[in-house]
Amino acid sequence: MKTYKPAATIFSSLAALALLSACPFVLPTYWTLILTEILIMGLFAMSFNLLLGYTGLLSFGQAGFFGVGAYATALFISKGGSSLFLCLVISLAAGAAAAVVIGYFCVRRDEIYFAMITLAFGMMLYTVAHSWIELTGGSDGLPLMTLPSLRLFGMELSLYSPTNMFMIVLLVTAVCIFFLWRLVRSPFGLLLTAIRENKQRLSFVGAGVQNLRLAAFVIAGALAGISGCMFSLFNSMAAPDFLHWGFSARPVLMTILGGSGIFFGPMLGAAVFFGLEQAITNITQNWMFFLGLILTPVVIFFPKGILGTLVDYLFKKTKGKP
Amino acid sequence: MRDVPILKIENLGHSYGKYLVIQDISLEVDSGEMTALIGPNGAGKTTFYNTVTGRFPPTRGRVHFNGKEITGFPAHKLVPMGLIRSFQITNIFPKLTVIENVLVPLVLHYRKGYSFLRALTGEKKLYRNAEEVLDKVGILESAHRPAGELAYGDKRLVEMAIVLARNPKLVMLDEPTAGMNPEETERMIYLIKELAERFGTTFFLTEHDMKVVFAVATQIYVLHQGGLIAQGDPETIRIDPKVREAYLGGSVND
Repeated sequence: MKTYKPAATIFSSLAALALLSACPFVLPTYWTLILTEILIMGLFAMSFNLLLGYTGLLSFGQAGFFGVGAYATALFISKGGSSLFLCLVISLAAGAAAAVVIGYFCVRRDEIYFAMITLAFGMMLYTVAHSWIELTGGSDGLPLMTLPSLRLFGMELSLYSPTNMFMIVLLVTAVCIFFLWRLVRSPFGLLLTAIRENKQRLSFVGAGVQNLRLAAFVIAGALAGISGCMFSLFNSMAAPDFLHWGFSARPVLMTILGGSGIFFGPMLGAAVFFGLEQAITNITQNWMFFLGLILTPVVIFFPKGILGTLVDYLFKKTKGKP
Repeated sequence: MRDVPILKIENLGHSYGKYLVIQDISLEVDSGEMTALIGPNGAGKTTFYNTVTGRFPPTRGRVHFNGKEITGFPAHKLVPMGLIRSFQITNIFPKLTVIENVLVPLVLHYRKGYSFLRALTGEKKLYRNAEEVLDKVGILESAHRPAGELAYGDKRLVEMAIVLARNPKLVMLDEPTAGMNPEETERMIYLIKELAERFGTTFFLTEHDMKVVFAVATQIYVLHQGGLIAQGDPETIRIDPKVREAYLGGSVND
Protein backbone atom coordinates (compact mmCIF):
# COMPACT_ATOMS: atom_id res chain seq x y z
CA MET A 1 0.00 0.00 0.00
CA LYS A 2 1.29 3.42 -0.92
CA THR A 3 1.47 5.76 2.02
CA TYR A 4 1.27 9.48 1.52
CA LYS A 5 4.03 11.40 3.27
CA PRO A 6 3.34 15.13 2.99
CA ALA A 7 6.70 16.18 4.43
CA ALA A 8 8.67 14.06 1.95
CA THR A 9 6.56 15.30 -0.95
CA ILE A 10 7.01 18.96 -0.01
CA PHE A 11 10.72 18.50 0.51
CA SER A 12 11.34 16.70 -2.78
CA SER A 13 9.27 19.18 -4.80
CA LEU A 14 11.13 22.13 -3.25
CA ALA A 15 14.44 20.41 -3.99
CA ALA A 16 13.37 19.83 -7.61
CA LEU A 17 12.33 23.48 -7.93
CA ALA A 18 15.63 24.70 -6.50
CA LEU A 19 17.56 22.43 -8.84
CA LEU A 20 15.59 23.56 -11.86
CA SER A 21 15.90 27.25 -11.04
CA ALA A 22 19.70 26.85 -10.95
CA CYS A 23 19.66 25.45 -14.51
CA PRO A 24 19.74 28.73 -16.51
CA PHE A 25 22.81 29.84 -14.54
CA VAL A 26 24.84 26.74 -15.31
CA LEU A 27 23.49 25.53 -18.65
CA PRO A 28 24.23 27.13 -22.02
CA THR A 29 21.42 29.41 -23.23
CA TYR A 30 20.45 26.92 -25.91
CA TRP A 31 19.59 24.29 -23.30
CA THR A 32 17.75 26.83 -21.17
CA LEU A 33 15.51 27.44 -24.16
CA ILE A 34 14.91 23.73 -24.60
CA LEU A 35 14.13 23.31 -20.89
CA THR A 36 11.64 26.16 -21.15
CA GLU A 37 9.92 24.43 -24.04
CA ILE A 38 9.88 21.13 -22.14
CA LEU A 39 8.16 22.79 -19.18
CA ILE A 40 5.52 24.45 -21.36
CA MET A 41 4.77 21.34 -23.40
CA GLY A 42 5.00 19.15 -20.29
CA LEU A 43 2.33 21.23 -18.59
CA PHE A 44 0.24 20.98 -21.75
CA ALA A 45 0.66 17.19 -21.74
CA MET A 46 -0.18 16.98 -18.02
CA SER A 47 -3.40 18.92 -18.59
CA PHE A 48 -4.21 16.52 -21.43
CA ASN A 49 -3.53 13.60 -19.09
CA LEU A 50 -6.14 14.83 -16.63
CA LEU A 51 -8.52 13.65 -19.35
CA LEU A 52 -6.70 10.54 -20.57
CA GLY A 53 -5.04 9.10 -17.49
CA TYR A 54 -7.54 10.15 -14.85
CA THR A 55 -10.91 10.48 -16.57
CA GLY A 56 -10.33 7.94 -19.35
CA LEU A 57 -11.05 10.34 -22.22
CA LEU A 58 -8.72 10.47 -25.23
CA SER A 59 -8.87 14.00 -26.64
CA PHE A 60 -7.38 14.71 -30.05
CA GLY A 61 -8.24 18.38 -29.99
CA GLN A 62 -6.29 19.80 -27.05
CA ALA A 63 -4.19 21.94 -29.38
CA GLY A 64 -7.37 23.91 -30.04
CA PHE A 65 -7.40 25.21 -26.45
CA PHE A 66 -3.64 25.62 -26.45
CA GLY A 67 -3.93 27.75 -29.58
CA VAL A 68 -6.86 29.74 -28.24
CA GLY A 69 -4.68 30.60 -25.25
CA ALA A 70 -1.78 31.57 -27.53
CA TYR A 71 -3.95 33.84 -29.71
CA ALA A 72 -5.64 35.37 -26.65
CA THR A 73 -2.25 36.53 -25.41
CA ALA A 74 -1.11 37.66 -28.88
CA LEU A 75 -4.31 39.67 -29.42
CA PHE A 76 -4.16 41.17 -25.94
CA ILE A 77 -0.61 42.36 -26.58
CA SER A 78 -1.35 43.61 -30.11
CA LYS A 79 -4.13 45.75 -28.59
CA GLY A 80 -1.60 47.33 -26.28
CA GLY A 81 -1.82 45.06 -23.25
CA SER A 82 1.36 44.86 -21.23
CA SER A 83 0.66 42.92 -18.05
CA LEU A 84 2.02 39.39 -17.90
CA PHE A 85 -0.46 38.47 -15.19
CA LEU A 86 -3.37 39.61 -17.37
CA CYS A 87 -1.97 37.61 -20.32
CA LEU A 88 -2.10 34.47 -18.21
CA VAL A 89 -5.58 35.21 -16.85
CA ILE A 90 -7.01 36.03 -20.28
CA SER A 91 -5.54 32.91 -21.86
CA LEU A 92 -6.82 30.77 -19.00
CA ALA A 93 -10.29 32.26 -19.39
CA ALA A 94 -10.22 31.89 -23.18
CA GLY A 95 -9.13 28.24 -22.98
CA ALA A 96 -11.81 27.52 -20.38
CA ALA A 97 -14.54 29.32 -22.33
CA ALA A 98 -13.72 27.42 -25.53
CA ALA A 99 -13.70 24.18 -23.54
CA VAL A 100 -17.14 24.89 -22.02
CA VAL A 101 -18.72 25.26 -25.46
CA ILE A 102 -16.87 22.43 -27.17
CA GLY A 103 -16.94 20.15 -24.11
CA TYR A 104 -20.71 20.48 -23.90
CA PHE A 105 -20.94 18.44 -27.11
CA CYS A 106 -17.93 16.18 -26.61
CA VAL A 107 -18.57 14.75 -23.14
CA ARG A 108 -21.72 13.04 -24.34
CA ARG A 109 -19.71 10.45 -26.26
CA ASP A 110 -17.12 7.84 -25.33
CA GLU A 111 -13.88 6.47 -26.64
CA ILE A 112 -13.31 6.80 -30.39
CA TYR A 113 -16.39 9.00 -30.81
CA PHE A 114 -15.13 11.39 -28.17
CA ALA A 115 -11.69 11.40 -29.83
CA MET A 116 -13.22 12.14 -33.24
CA ILE A 117 -15.46 14.97 -32.01
CA THR A 118 -12.57 16.64 -30.20
CA LEU A 119 -10.48 16.27 -33.35
CA ALA A 120 -13.23 17.84 -35.44
CA PHE A 121 -13.66 20.81 -33.10
CA GLY A 122 -9.89 21.25 -32.88
CA MET A 123 -9.70 21.49 -36.67
CA MET A 124 -12.59 23.96 -36.72
CA LEU A 125 -10.59 26.22 -34.41
CA TYR A 126 -7.54 25.71 -36.63
CA THR A 127 -9.54 26.82 -39.66
CA VAL A 128 -10.70 29.93 -37.84
CA ALA A 129 -7.10 30.80 -36.94
CA HIS A 130 -5.99 30.08 -40.48
CA SER A 131 -8.71 31.94 -42.35
CA TRP A 132 -9.87 34.88 -40.23
CA ILE A 133 -6.99 36.96 -41.53
CA GLU A 134 -8.07 40.36 -40.15
CA LEU A 135 -8.07 38.98 -36.60
CA THR A 136 -5.39 36.31 -36.59
CA GLY A 137 -3.06 37.28 -39.40
CA GLY A 138 -3.94 34.05 -41.25
CA SER A 139 -1.22 31.55 -42.06
CA ASP A 140 1.52 34.02 -41.12
CA GLY A 141 0.35 34.02 -37.55
CA LEU A 142 0.19 36.91 -35.14
CA PRO A 143 3.56 38.23 -33.98
CA LEU A 144 4.04 39.64 -30.51
CA MET A 145 5.68 43.01 -31.21
CA THR A 146 6.62 43.46 -27.57
CA LEU A 147 6.77 41.12 -24.65
CA PRO A 148 5.19 42.07 -21.33
CA SER A 149 7.72 42.93 -18.71
CA LEU A 150 7.63 42.20 -15.06
CA ARG A 151 8.36 44.58 -12.22
CA LEU A 152 9.67 42.70 -9.21
CA PHE A 153 11.20 44.36 -6.13
CA GLY A 154 11.71 47.54 -8.12
CA MET A 155 13.58 45.69 -10.85
CA GLU A 156 12.43 45.61 -14.43
CA LEU A 157 12.63 42.00 -15.65
CA SER A 158 12.54 41.61 -19.40
CA LEU A 159 11.11 38.42 -20.87
CA TYR A 160 13.57 38.81 -23.75
CA SER A 161 16.12 37.34 -21.41
CA PRO A 162 15.99 33.53 -21.66
CA THR A 163 16.76 33.25 -17.96
CA ASN A 164 13.84 35.45 -16.95
CA MET A 165 11.58 33.65 -19.39
CA PHE A 166 12.62 30.30 -17.96
CA MET A 167 12.01 31.49 -14.37
CA ILE A 168 8.53 32.77 -15.18
CA VAL A 169 7.63 29.59 -17.05
CA LEU A 170 8.98 27.50 -14.18
CA LEU A 171 6.94 29.46 -11.65
CA VAL A 172 3.70 29.32 -13.62
CA THR A 173 4.17 25.64 -14.45
CA ALA A 174 4.90 24.82 -10.81
CA VAL A 175 1.76 26.61 -9.64
CA CYS A 176 -0.35 24.78 -12.25
CA ILE A 177 1.18 21.42 -11.37
CA PHE A 178 0.52 22.06 -7.68
CA PHE A 179 -3.10 22.80 -8.59
CA LEU A 180 -3.32 19.52 -10.57
CA TRP A 181 -1.67 17.64 -7.73
CA ARG A 182 -4.29 18.84 -5.29
CA LEU A 183 -7.04 18.22 -7.80
CA VAL A 184 -6.28 14.53 -8.42
CA ARG A 185 -6.14 13.92 -4.69
CA SER A 186 -9.46 15.62 -3.99
CA PRO A 187 -12.89 13.99 -3.80
CA PHE A 188 -13.46 15.33 -7.33
CA GLY A 189 -10.30 13.53 -8.46
CA LEU A 190 -11.63 10.26 -7.03
CA LEU A 191 -14.83 10.66 -9.04
CA LEU A 192 -12.79 11.25 -12.21
CA THR A 193 -10.96 7.96 -11.73
CA ALA A 194 -14.32 6.33 -11.03
CA ILE A 195 -15.52 7.59 -14.45
CA ARG A 196 -12.46 5.97 -16.02
CA GLU A 197 -13.05 2.72 -14.17
CA ASN A 198 -16.80 2.30 -14.61
CA LYS A 199 -18.99 5.21 -15.59
CA GLN A 200 -22.18 3.15 -15.59
CA ARG A 201 -21.69 2.14 -11.97
CA LEU A 202 -20.89 5.74 -11.11
CA SER A 203 -24.09 7.07 -12.64
CA PHE A 204 -26.04 4.37 -10.79
CA VAL A 205 -24.74 5.58 -7.45
CA GLY A 206 -26.13 8.97 -8.33
CA ALA A 207 -23.42 10.95 -10.12
CA GLY A 208 -24.03 13.27 -13.06
CA VAL A 209 -21.22 11.78 -15.15
CA GLN A 210 -21.49 14.27 -18.02
CA ASN A 211 -21.16 17.27 -15.74
CA LEU A 212 -18.13 15.79 -14.02
CA ARG A 213 -16.55 15.10 -17.39
CA LEU A 214 -17.34 18.62 -18.53
CA ALA A 215 -15.67 20.03 -15.40
CA ALA A 216 -12.54 17.98 -16.13
CA PHE A 217 -12.63 19.07 -19.78
CA VAL A 218 -12.86 22.75 -18.84
CA ILE A 219 -10.02 22.48 -16.32
CA ALA A 220 -7.86 20.74 -18.94
CA GLY A 221 -8.82 23.43 -21.47
CA ALA A 222 -7.92 26.24 -19.06
CA LEU A 223 -4.51 24.75 -18.33
CA ALA A 224 -3.92 24.18 -22.06
CA GLY A 225 -4.78 27.89 -22.50
CA ILE A 226 -2.12 28.88 -19.96
CA SER A 227 0.40 26.62 -21.71
CA GLY A 228 -0.51 28.29 -25.00
CA CYS A 229 -0.03 31.74 -23.45
CA MET A 230 3.48 30.83 -22.34
CA PHE A 231 4.23 29.23 -25.71
CA SER A 232 3.26 32.39 -27.60
CA LEU A 233 5.42 34.50 -25.26
CA PHE A 234 8.26 32.05 -25.71
CA ASN A 235 8.00 32.11 -29.53
CA SER A 236 7.00 35.80 -29.74
CA MET A 237 4.07 34.75 -31.90
CA ALA A 238 0.87 32.77 -32.19
CA ALA A 239 0.54 30.64 -35.32
CA PRO A 240 -2.28 28.50 -36.74
CA ASP A 241 -0.02 25.46 -36.47
CA PHE A 242 -0.47 25.63 -32.69
CA LEU A 243 -4.07 24.50 -33.25
CA HIS A 244 -3.47 21.87 -35.89
CA TRP A 245 -4.34 18.28 -35.05
CA GLY A 246 -0.71 17.36 -35.61
CA PHE A 247 0.01 19.60 -32.65
CA SER A 248 -2.73 17.82 -30.69
CA ALA A 249 -0.83 14.59 -31.22
CA ARG A 250 2.14 15.96 -29.24
CA PRO A 251 0.63 15.67 -25.76
CA VAL A 252 -0.70 12.24 -26.76
CA LEU A 253 2.80 11.06 -27.75
CA MET A 254 4.43 12.61 -24.70
CA THR A 255 1.90 11.03 -22.37
CA ILE A 256 2.30 7.60 -23.93
CA LEU A 257 6.10 7.94 -23.80
CA GLY A 258 6.12 8.95 -20.16
CA GLY A 259 3.15 6.96 -18.91
CA SER A 260 -0.46 8.04 -18.46
CA GLY A 261 -0.89 6.26 -15.15
CA ILE A 262 1.73 8.37 -13.36
CA PHE A 263 1.24 11.97 -12.32
CA PHE A 264 4.58 13.22 -13.73
CA GLY A 265 4.58 10.77 -16.66
CA PRO A 266 3.61 13.34 -19.33
CA MET A 267 6.26 15.80 -18.10
CA LEU A 268 8.95 13.16 -18.37
CA GLY A 269 7.51 12.23 -21.75
CA ALA A 270 7.95 15.85 -22.88
CA ALA A 271 11.57 15.79 -21.70
CA VAL A 272 12.24 12.54 -23.57
CA PHE A 273 10.47 13.90 -26.65
CA PHE A 274 12.61 17.04 -26.87
CA GLY A 275 15.74 15.22 -25.77
CA LEU A 276 15.30 12.74 -28.60
CA GLU A 277 14.50 15.52 -31.05
CA GLN A 278 17.77 17.24 -30.16
CA ALA A 279 19.80 14.05 -30.32
CA ILE A 280 18.31 12.83 -33.59
CA THR A 281 18.09 16.09 -35.53
CA ASN A 282 21.86 16.34 -35.04
CA ILE A 283 22.12 13.27 -37.24
CA THR A 284 19.16 13.46 -39.61
CA GLN A 285 16.30 15.78 -40.59
CA ASN A 286 13.74 12.96 -40.49
CA TRP A 287 13.55 12.73 -36.76
CA MET A 288 9.86 11.76 -36.72
CA PHE A 289 10.82 8.46 -38.37
CA PHE A 290 13.08 7.66 -35.45
CA LEU A 291 10.51 8.83 -32.97
CA GLY A 292 8.22 6.17 -34.47
CA LEU A 293 10.97 3.59 -34.16
CA ILE A 294 11.30 4.41 -30.47
CA LEU A 295 7.61 4.79 -29.73
CA THR A 296 6.63 1.40 -31.12
CA PRO A 297 8.65 -0.74 -28.69
CA VAL A 298 7.59 1.56 -25.82
CA VAL A 299 3.93 0.91 -26.57
CA ILE A 300 4.45 -2.82 -27.16
CA PHE A 301 6.81 -3.66 -24.32
CA PHE A 302 6.16 -0.87 -21.80
CA PRO A 303 2.49 0.00 -22.15
CA LYS A 304 2.69 1.94 -18.90
CA GLY A 305 5.28 4.30 -20.40
CA ILE A 306 8.84 4.96 -19.30
CA LEU A 307 8.10 6.50 -15.91
CA GLY A 308 5.21 4.12 -15.28
CA THR A 309 7.41 1.08 -15.92
CA LEU A 310 10.21 2.52 -13.82
CA VAL A 311 7.93 3.20 -10.85
CA ASP A 312 6.41 -0.29 -11.14
CA TYR A 313 9.87 -1.81 -11.17
CA LEU A 314 11.08 0.14 -8.12
CA PHE A 315 7.82 -0.49 -6.28
CA LYS A 316 7.99 -4.24 -6.86
CA LYS A 317 11.63 -4.27 -5.83
CA THR A 318 10.95 -2.61 -2.48
CA LYS A 319 7.80 -4.68 -2.02
CA GLY A 320 9.76 -7.90 -2.48
CA LYS A 321 12.10 -7.06 0.39
CA PRO A 322 11.08 -8.39 3.81
CA MET B 1 -54.34 1.80 8.14
CA ARG B 2 -51.57 0.68 5.84
CA ASP B 3 -48.61 2.89 5.18
CA VAL B 4 -47.90 4.19 1.71
CA PRO B 5 -46.00 1.42 -0.11
CA ILE B 6 -42.35 2.32 -0.65
CA LEU B 7 -42.61 1.27 -4.29
CA LYS B 8 -45.84 1.19 -6.25
CA ILE B 9 -45.94 0.21 -9.89
CA GLU B 10 -49.04 0.59 -12.04
CA ASN B 11 -49.54 -1.04 -15.45
CA LEU B 12 -45.86 -0.89 -16.33
CA GLY B 13 -45.07 -1.91 -19.87
CA HIS B 14 -42.11 -1.68 -22.19
CA SER B 15 -41.65 -2.50 -25.85
CA TYR B 16 -38.69 -2.44 -28.17
CA GLY B 17 -40.30 -1.36 -31.40
CA LYS B 18 -43.26 -3.68 -31.87
CA TYR B 19 -41.89 -6.32 -29.54
CA LEU B 20 -43.58 -6.11 -26.16
CA VAL B 21 -41.16 -7.27 -23.47
CA ILE B 22 -43.18 -6.58 -20.34
CA GLN B 23 -46.81 -5.59 -20.08
CA ASP B 24 -49.30 -4.47 -17.50
CA ILE B 25 -47.18 -5.11 -14.42
CA SER B 26 -48.69 -3.73 -11.22
CA LEU B 27 -47.09 -4.41 -7.89
CA GLU B 28 -46.41 -2.92 -4.48
CA VAL B 29 -43.45 -3.18 -2.19
CA ASP B 30 -44.02 -2.47 1.50
CA SER B 31 -41.34 -1.01 3.68
CA GLY B 32 -39.66 -3.73 5.71
CA GLU B 33 -40.88 -6.56 3.48
CA MET B 34 -38.49 -8.69 1.48
CA THR B 35 -40.05 -8.76 -1.96
CA ALA B 36 -38.83 -10.98 -4.77
CA LEU B 37 -39.60 -11.01 -8.47
CA ILE B 38 -39.03 -14.41 -10.01
CA GLY B 39 -39.54 -15.88 -13.43
CA PRO B 40 -37.87 -18.09 -16.02
CA ASN B 41 -35.09 -16.69 -18.18
CA GLY B 42 -36.38 -14.20 -20.69
CA ALA B 43 -39.45 -13.35 -18.61
CA GLY B 44 -38.52 -9.67 -18.65
CA LYS B 45 -36.96 -9.25 -15.20
CA THR B 46 -34.02 -7.20 -16.39
CA THR B 47 -36.20 -4.93 -18.54
CA PHE B 48 -38.41 -4.41 -15.48
CA TYR B 49 -35.32 -3.38 -13.49
CA ASN B 50 -34.02 -1.08 -16.15
CA THR B 51 -37.29 0.80 -16.52
CA VAL B 52 -37.84 1.19 -12.78
CA THR B 53 -34.28 2.18 -11.85
CA GLY B 54 -33.77 4.79 -14.53
CA ARG B 55 -31.70 3.11 -17.20
CA PHE B 56 -34.43 3.96 -19.70
CA PRO B 57 -38.03 5.12 -19.25
CA PRO B 58 -40.86 2.60 -19.65
CA THR B 59 -43.09 3.02 -22.69
CA ARG B 60 -46.22 2.63 -20.52
CA GLY B 61 -47.32 2.84 -16.92
CA ARG B 62 -46.32 4.69 -13.76
CA VAL B 63 -43.86 4.19 -10.96
CA HIS B 64 -44.24 5.75 -7.51
CA PHE B 65 -41.58 5.81 -4.83
CA ASN B 66 -42.64 6.78 -1.32
CA GLY B 67 -45.83 8.30 -2.72
CA LYS B 68 -44.03 10.43 -5.33
CA GLU B 69 -44.18 9.71 -9.03
CA ILE B 70 -40.76 8.82 -10.43
CA THR B 71 -41.66 7.33 -13.82
CA GLY B 72 -38.68 7.60 -16.14
CA PHE B 73 -36.44 9.40 -13.63
CA PRO B 74 -32.75 8.85 -14.39
CA ALA B 75 -30.60 7.08 -11.82
CA HIS B 76 -28.85 10.23 -10.64
CA LYS B 77 -32.21 11.58 -9.48
CA LEU B 78 -33.44 8.33 -7.95
CA VAL B 79 -30.36 7.60 -5.88
CA PRO B 80 -30.51 10.75 -3.71
CA MET B 81 -34.20 9.96 -3.09
CA GLY B 82 -33.18 6.58 -1.67
CA LEU B 83 -33.71 4.10 -4.52
CA ILE B 84 -30.61 2.28 -5.69
CA ARG B 85 -29.88 -0.89 -7.63
CA SER B 86 -27.19 -3.50 -7.98
CA PHE B 87 -26.29 -5.35 -11.16
CA GLN B 88 -26.35 -8.96 -12.27
CA ILE B 89 -22.77 -8.84 -13.39
CA THR B 90 -20.15 -7.57 -10.98
CA ASN B 91 -20.12 -3.83 -11.34
CA ILE B 92 -17.40 -2.19 -9.31
CA PHE B 93 -14.39 0.11 -9.85
CA PRO B 94 -11.74 -2.60 -10.33
CA LYS B 95 -8.54 -0.56 -10.11
CA LEU B 96 -9.62 1.45 -7.08
CA THR B 97 -9.07 -0.02 -3.64
CA VAL B 98 -12.03 -1.49 -1.79
CA ILE B 99 -12.34 1.51 0.48
CA GLU B 100 -12.13 3.91 -2.48
CA ASN B 101 -14.97 1.96 -4.11
CA VAL B 102 -17.12 2.87 -1.12
CA LEU B 103 -15.74 6.41 -0.87
CA VAL B 104 -17.07 7.14 -4.38
CA PRO B 105 -20.76 6.92 -3.36
CA LEU B 106 -19.97 8.62 -0.05
CA VAL B 107 -18.38 11.61 -1.82
CA LEU B 108 -21.64 11.92 -3.74
CA HIS B 109 -23.74 11.36 -0.64
CA TYR B 110 -22.08 14.20 1.22
CA ARG B 111 -22.08 16.39 -1.91
CA LYS B 112 -18.32 16.71 -2.08
CA GLY B 113 -18.19 15.79 -5.77
CA TYR B 114 -17.05 19.27 -6.79
CA SER B 115 -14.63 19.72 -3.94
CA PHE B 116 -11.53 20.34 -6.05
CA LEU B 117 -8.78 21.30 -3.72
CA ARG B 118 -9.38 19.58 -0.42
CA ALA B 119 -7.46 16.37 0.01
CA LEU B 120 -9.70 13.33 0.10
CA THR B 121 -7.56 11.94 2.92
CA GLY B 122 -8.62 14.93 5.01
CA GLU B 123 -12.27 13.85 4.88
CA LYS B 124 -12.18 11.84 8.10
CA LYS B 125 -15.95 11.52 8.28
CA LEU B 126 -16.07 9.87 4.86
CA TYR B 127 -13.37 7.40 5.82
CA ARG B 128 -15.10 6.52 9.11
CA ASN B 129 -18.36 6.04 7.26
CA ALA B 130 -16.68 3.90 4.59
CA GLU B 131 -15.12 1.67 7.24
CA GLU B 132 -18.52 1.22 8.87
CA VAL B 133 -20.07 0.11 5.59
CA LEU B 134 -17.21 -2.30 4.86
CA ASP B 135 -17.60 -3.70 8.36
CA LYS B 136 -21.34 -4.17 7.78
CA VAL B 137 -20.75 -6.39 4.74
CA GLY B 138 -17.69 -8.03 6.27
CA ILE B 139 -14.82 -7.01 3.98
CA LEU B 140 -13.12 -4.40 6.15
CA GLU B 141 -9.92 -6.46 6.25
CA SER B 142 -9.55 -6.06 2.46
CA ALA B 143 -10.06 -2.27 2.59
CA HIS B 144 -6.76 -1.34 0.96
CA ARG B 145 -6.58 -4.01 -1.71
CA PRO B 146 -7.53 -3.19 -5.31
CA ALA B 147 -11.13 -4.35 -5.65
CA GLY B 148 -10.41 -6.12 -8.94
CA GLU B 149 -8.06 -8.55 -7.17
CA LEU B 150 -10.66 -9.94 -4.78
CA ALA B 151 -12.38 -13.32 -5.12
CA TYR B 152 -15.67 -13.28 -7.01
CA GLY B 153 -17.90 -13.47 -3.94
CA ASP B 154 -15.99 -10.65 -2.27
CA LYS B 155 -16.38 -8.45 -5.36
CA ARG B 156 -20.12 -8.90 -5.06
CA LEU B 157 -19.82 -7.79 -1.44
CA VAL B 158 -17.94 -4.69 -2.61
CA GLU B 159 -20.84 -3.95 -4.89
CA MET B 160 -23.26 -4.40 -1.99
CA ALA B 161 -21.11 -1.98 0.04
CA ILE B 162 -21.21 0.58 -2.81
CA VAL B 163 -25.00 0.33 -2.83
CA LEU B 164 -25.37 0.56 0.97
CA ALA B 165 -23.01 3.52 1.26
CA ARG B 166 -25.71 5.84 -0.09
CA ASN B 167 -27.92 4.83 2.84
CA PRO B 168 -30.84 3.82 0.60
CA LYS B 169 -34.44 3.26 1.63
CA LEU B 170 -34.96 0.63 -1.04
CA VAL B 171 -32.29 -1.57 -2.57
CA MET B 172 -33.14 -3.37 -5.79
CA LEU B 173 -30.85 -6.36 -6.21
CA ASP B 174 -30.61 -7.99 -9.62
CA GLU B 175 -29.70 -11.65 -9.00
CA PRO B 176 -27.44 -11.01 -6.01
CA THR B 177 -26.11 -14.57 -5.94
CA ALA B 178 -25.63 -15.11 -9.69
CA GLY B 179 -22.44 -17.05 -10.33
CA MET B 180 -21.68 -17.62 -6.66
CA ASN B 181 -20.64 -20.95 -5.17
CA PRO B 182 -22.89 -22.45 -2.46
CA GLU B 183 -20.78 -21.07 0.37
CA GLU B 184 -20.78 -17.53 -1.07
CA THR B 185 -24.53 -17.80 -1.69
CA GLU B 186 -25.07 -18.80 1.93
CA ARG B 187 -23.06 -15.78 3.07
CA MET B 188 -25.02 -13.42 0.81
CA ILE B 189 -28.38 -14.74 2.07
CA TYR B 190 -27.24 -14.28 5.64
CA LEU B 191 -26.02 -10.77 4.85
CA ILE B 192 -29.24 -9.65 3.16
CA LYS B 193 -31.32 -10.96 6.06
CA GLU B 194 -29.07 -9.33 8.61
CA LEU B 195 -29.09 -5.97 6.83
CA ALA B 196 -32.87 -6.06 6.63
CA GLU B 197 -33.25 -6.94 10.30
CA ARG B 198 -30.53 -4.84 11.87
CA PHE B 199 -30.63 -1.75 9.71
CA GLY B 200 -34.19 -1.82 8.41
CA THR B 201 -33.14 -1.67 4.74
CA THR B 202 -35.95 -2.74 2.41
CA PHE B 203 -34.87 -5.10 -0.35
CA PHE B 204 -36.41 -6.01 -3.64
CA LEU B 205 -34.70 -8.75 -5.58
CA THR B 206 -34.86 -10.88 -8.66
CA GLU B 207 -33.33 -14.27 -8.49
CA HIS B 208 -33.55 -17.50 -10.36
CA ASP B 209 -32.07 -19.59 -7.57
CA MET B 210 -35.29 -20.70 -5.81
CA LYS B 211 -33.41 -21.68 -2.68
CA VAL B 212 -32.41 -18.07 -2.23
CA VAL B 213 -35.89 -16.77 -2.94
CA PHE B 214 -37.61 -19.07 -0.47
CA ALA B 215 -34.92 -18.43 2.10
CA VAL B 216 -35.28 -14.65 2.16
CA ALA B 217 -38.48 -13.44 0.50
CA THR B 218 -41.68 -12.70 2.38
CA GLN B 219 -43.59 -11.60 -0.71
CA ILE B 220 -43.12 -13.07 -4.18
CA TYR B 221 -44.28 -11.97 -7.61
CA VAL B 222 -43.97 -14.32 -10.57
CA LEU B 223 -43.23 -12.95 -14.02
CA HIS B 224 -43.81 -15.07 -17.11
CA GLN B 225 -43.62 -13.99 -20.73
CA GLY B 226 -43.67 -10.35 -19.73
CA GLY B 227 -46.69 -10.44 -17.44
CA LEU B 228 -47.34 -11.24 -13.77
CA ILE B 229 -48.99 -14.60 -13.32
CA ALA B 230 -48.99 -14.97 -9.54
CA GLN B 231 -48.26 -13.21 -6.30
CA GLY B 232 -48.26 -14.13 -2.64
CA ASP B 233 -46.18 -15.46 0.24
CA PRO B 234 -43.68 -18.26 -0.44
CA GLU B 235 -46.16 -21.00 0.55
CA THR B 236 -48.82 -19.75 -1.89
CA ILE B 237 -46.29 -19.50 -4.71
CA ARG B 238 -44.84 -22.93 -4.01
CA ILE B 239 -48.19 -24.65 -4.62
CA ASP B 240 -49.55 -22.37 -7.37
CA PRO B 241 -50.20 -24.57 -10.44
CA LYS B 242 -49.62 -21.71 -12.91
CA VAL B 243 -46.19 -21.12 -11.46
CA ARG B 244 -45.38 -24.80 -11.64
CA GLU B 245 -46.43 -24.83 -15.25
CA ALA B 246 -44.30 -21.79 -16.07
CA TYR B 247 -41.26 -23.51 -14.63
CA LEU B 248 -42.29 -26.85 -16.24
CA GLY B 249 -42.80 -28.33 -12.80
CA GLY B 250 -39.08 -28.08 -12.15
CA SER B 251 -37.16 -25.97 -9.79
CA VAL B 252 -39.99 -24.51 -7.71
CA ASN B 253 -39.86 -27.51 -5.42
CA ASP B 254 -36.11 -27.22 -5.05
